[in-house]
Amino acid sequence: MITLSGTRGRKNTLVGLSALALVSVIAACGSASGGGSTPAASATASPCASNTVLSATCDTKTQAAVTLTGAGANSIEPFFETVFYGYNQKNSQTTVNYSPAGSSVGVSDIQQGTVNFGDSEIPMTSSQLAAATGGTVLQIPVDLGGVAISYNVPGAPANLKLDGSTLAGIFDGSITNWDSPLIAAVSGVSNLPNLAIKAVHRADASGPGYDLDQYLIDTAPAWVTAIGTSTPSRTWPLATVGIGEQLNTGVATYVSQTSGSVGFVEYGYALQNGFVNAAILDAAGAYVAPTEASIALAGAQATSLSSTNFNVVNETGAGVYPLANFSWTLVYQKQSETTTAIALGKLLDWVVTTGQQDAAALGYAPLPANVASLAQKTILEIEGSTGTPLFSS
Amino acid sequence: MSSDTTGVLPREGVAVSGVRAALLQKRTRLGEHAYTVVRWGGAAVFAAVVVALLISVAGSSSQALTRSGVGFLWSGTWNPAAGEYGAGILVVGTLLTTAVAMVIVVPIGLGTAAFLSELAPGWLAGPLSTLIGLLAAVPSIVVGLWGLIVLTPIFANQVEPFLASMPLLGWLFRGEAYGPSVLLASVVLAVMTLPTMVALSRTALAAVPVADREAALALGATRWQAVRKAVIPAARSGIQAAVTLAVGRAMGESIAVAMVIGNRPALPTSLTAPGATLGSAIVNQFAEASPGLGTSSVIALGAVLLLLTVAVNAGGQALLRSGGGHRAGTAGALR
Amino acid sequence: MTVASALSRRGLVRAAAQRSLTRRRITGRLAQALCAVAAVASVAPLVALLYYTISRGAQVLSWSFLVNAPTPPGIPGGGISTAITGSAEIVGLALVIAIPIALLAALFLFERSGRLAAALRFSADVLAGVPSIIIGIFAYALLVLPLHAFSNLAAAFALAVLMLPIMIRADEEAMRTIALDLWEAGIALGARRGRVARSVVLRGALPDLVTGNLLAIARAVGETAPLLFTLATPVAAMTLLIYTDGTQAFPIAQETAWGTALVLLAFVLLLSVAAKIAAWRISRRAR
Repeated sequence: MITLSGTRGRKNTLVGLSALALVSVIAACGSASGGGSTPAASATASPCASNTVLSATCDTKTQAAVTLTGAGANSIEPFFETVFYGYNQKNSQTTVNYSPAGSSVGVSDIQQGTVNFGDSEIPMTSSQLAAATGGTVLQIPVDLGGVAISYNVPGAPANLKLDGSTLAGIFDGSITNWDSPLIAAVSGVSNLPNLAIKAVHRADASGPGYDLDQYLIDTAPAWVTAIGTSTPSRTWPLATVGIGEQLNTGVATYVSQTSGSVGFVEYGYALQNGFVNAAILDAAGAYVAPTEASIALAGAQATSLSSTNFNVVNETGAGVYPLANFSWTLVYQKQSETTTAIALGKLLDWVVTTGQQDAAALGYAPLPANVASLAQKTILEIEGSTGTPLFSS
Repeated sequence: MSSDTTGVLPREGVAVSGVRAALLQKRTRLGEHAYTVVRWGGAAVFAAVVVALLISVAGSSSQALTRSGVGFLWSGTWNPAAGEYGAGILVVGTLLTTAVAMVIVVPIGLGTAAFLSELAPGWLAGPLSTLIGLLAAVPSIVVGLWGLIVLTPIFANQVEPFLASMPLLGWLFRGEAYGPSVLLASVVLAVMTLPTMVALSRTALAAVPVADREAALALGATRWQAVRKAVIPAARSGIQAAVTLAVGRAMGESIAVAMVIGNRPALPTSLTAPGATLGSAIVNQFAEASPGLGTSSVIALGAVLLLLTVAVNAGGQALLRSGGGHRAGTAGALR
Repeated sequence: MTVASALSRRGLVRAAAQRSLTRRRITGRLAQALCAVAAVASVAPLVALLYYTISRGAQVLSWSFLVNAPTPPGIPGGGISTAITGSAEIVGLALVIAIPIALLAALFLFERSGRLAAALRFSADVLAGVPSIIIGIFAYALLVLPLHAFSNLAAAFALAVLMLPIMIRADEEAMRTIALDLWEAGIALGARRGRVARSVVLRGALPDLVTGNLLAIARAVGETAPLLFTLATPVAAMTLLIYTDGTQAFPIAQETAWGTALVLLAFVLLLSVAAKIAAWRISRRAR
């Protein structure tokens, strides 16, 4: 993992390691760079002299004033807001605007080229990629979040143990009361109160809903029967049971003020509101509660992560929280304007490296090392107006 | 409305002086034409916007509608997860919440308007009507959040159990009290449409010539009878406009409803059951709908709502035309 | 008819009238009381909402809140200045677009009758029911996608489309409060149609025009969905900021949202009061 401010020696080592693959890139940089910077990127000159070097120290050195616009998922808005603000403090040349109109609008905007980058909780499908007017779309994982199952049951202990079948029973209406023997059997708690279960799901399409749906499909055959499909969906598939509430706020508010309620929210939300969360059975057979560490472990299992293989739900491993997902930023590989491309590349590199420090305070887990390097590799594929990769690292 | 010749009253006074001013201007052919052209222009621009909107909605929803056919309108399943798009239940939910909201809003709104225009002292009416108008400015997300945070517990714990325990009407409110429900959504809609109803009804009531009121009073009517039999019928068209706009707002409201209705796409078994409306389904689905069929289906819901609004408006107009033959005037005051 | 029977008849009538009067008085008083109750019921939600909004947002209100630029949650010293100026600009632009069109269309409906006018009125009624999110998508398809850019103009256009049907209907009803004779008098005496429209109709209906337009403006100022698809960032308008911050988990973000809601309401209140005073003064001067 690249650290915040390595020493010059460490910089040299990194440059040396990638020198083989990037010699031609450096040469191309010299001609493609619009800032008129000197092409030499040898170990003895300033490492940021070439405006197209991506690294922790060089990310905040852009030469032209650029405003970047993005649009996409509502859920990543707090993270983006914080990271972009921090970036602007360090590099006042780049202003970033993000519109949280939803993944659908984000995908549509990037397809039409209305924005510089989009964000979606789920990577674009092949048909969506085909409809993009500007060519190939690069999909970069930028944050790692988890889904907490929060409940409000007076007298119940924290981190109540629940597994897939029990959760499926709660959300498909077959288990209707907290004192059900099925819950007692799994959780080991036999004195839960006689309280009707009020299951609340997301009324709007959401990443957390997708994750829980995927988990239930993987672990509860009864769920697959109930919803009639084994493909997960961002829209909650069984909306006729329980209550549907809008956004994390809706679910969180309902859970916090209604006795007997249980619902799923983004972990960051549960953390901020001090919710009591269930410990979910993971693929290794242990009951794991959502914490930054257990979510990070889930992300770390994604050794072959890609935009087509993005599922990190119910991963095997010790202490892995089963409900986790990445958020994906979408940019065109071929950028028509080099100054914009440079600003974009540097911003994204910042987001997946230094910016991850903001993640923890917001309830996300920092990107695991393997995912961060995948992200950085993908950023390196950004091409300038000449059609050749723009950056070096 | 006929003007009164016994003395110049404030409202008419303004207009009369306007006539005086108008006469001082020479009437030219060019000026005449210019005005007519501009006026036609304004109407044409509005018509163009409406047509553009209709085309846009029709175009974007065509993918979903051609796939499902006309059955989209009344098909009973709304399950985007399974790819089942049918607006029937949502139509029922929309009509139900709007109807209950209007049952609340029309009497209260009309009563308030009557109070403000006829019965309240002058120093109170103005500020009070400004305040009620302020309610229209509250963002629907704020009303939704307030409804969710403040009203939902009250409804779940006190109001709904109380209503369910009522002897005869309790049957309407039976069932598990979640809190978010058709009833709560209707109440929230009532709160949001009240300013429209009050403001426009008040305008209509206040515009009835004083002569009509005085005539009724002279014939021996009490103050209230004068209002009920002479003023309100004379203000009919304005009150109709108020109700129409209020119904329109109630049918189309999305964010606030989505936060308090429980979003259950099934036929509500009672007023305290969760439900779903076209507006709430649109706002729930659009942000994360899969581009293509998903977004097309959402806009198709918008098309269904447009059709529904047309139907409700046409039905309302037909109803009023058939029932409006008898014009109650001051003659009915002594009944 | 004998004198006696006539007298007794009159006595019966008087007695009946007396009973009727008492009954009508009681009904009348009861109805008036109910109207007062209705008025209280109308104001109650606003009071409750205001109370709640103040309790959530008052602690964040300060001068720096109004003039500082926004900062993310956790970073102190943030304000909503960009949102206030953005909202003012967008609403102002929307008014410039909507008010003239609405007045002209309303004059059209007022002065003409017939099928065309009826169709226009009907379409205004129908348009009043379109959810604001659909209008937002319409503005997005019309002005954002082709131009490949978010803009205040697109947002203003969306708000104008939202306001138009309400304004047109309210304007038309306001014009109908003018005695038709006066309009006819003006025309008959030879005044230009446009002049009559200006001096008789608009000036006379001004207070009600203002009320109706304020209603539409208040509604538009409070809308979120049309702005969501047409603006580049939540801090560009107050309602968008309320929506984005109000749905975040951080207490400071939520306080900011409720504080912004208070500022929004104050903004609309000032606008209402100013417009009503202006209308009152114009009417007074004209007398």
